[in-house]
Amino acid sequence: MTDETAAPPAPRADARSEAFALAIAVAGWIVPGLGHALLKMWGRALACFLTVGLLVFFGAGMRGNVFTSSGNDAFDTLGYLADLGAGSFYFVARSLESNGPDVSRADGDYGTRFLAAAGVLNLLAALHAYEAARGRKA
Amino acid sequence: MSAAVVFGLSHLQAMLLFALVISIAFGFLSRRQPIERIKYIVWSLFLFLLIGVGIGWAMYPFSR
Repeated sequence: MTDETAAPPAPRADARSEAFALAIAVAGWIVPGLGHALLKMWGRALACFLTVGLLVFFGAGMRGNVFTSSGNDAFDTLGYLADLGAGSFYFVARSLESNGPDVSRADGDYGTRFLAAAGVLNLLAALHAYEAARGRKA
Repeated sequence: MSAAVVFGLSHLQAMLLFALVISIAFGFLSRRQPIERIKYIVWSLFLFLLIGVGIGWAMYPFSR
């Protein structure tokens, strides 16, 4: 006789922790470092905030291209998605760059890369915070 | 808010700044102990610069 047992229902605690991890990831995306701060990982929180902030500050100061949703081609769209990864700092970059981008010089071109790197780095940090909240990595 | 500061960095300065900032972020995200973080940051920075300068020299023969 086989000992058949019904699969246990998914525990509510798991669903709650998954929702918590998602909230951590979203918080980390909106404000760089906030996800880690909510997990009391203060060093990582500060590092994320400062590194993403520095990249945005220098990227905008070098008059890099802050892409908007009204891109002309796929590269503009990709750039917009990368820039948007910086969360609220995307709008900081736009407000800092009141004179508009100037990619006719190498500085502006580098600035564009700095801004995109800030966004991608922040997404990586948010993913790290999500994994840490799930207990997979710390 | 207006842009009060406009930076004019050379190629090398921009590469150094980028490599340093990204290395620090990677070090803090991937290591827990301070000494491990410092080692990772230094090693990552070294590799960033080595590969960056290496690619620069590799492109040099085709630049003219």
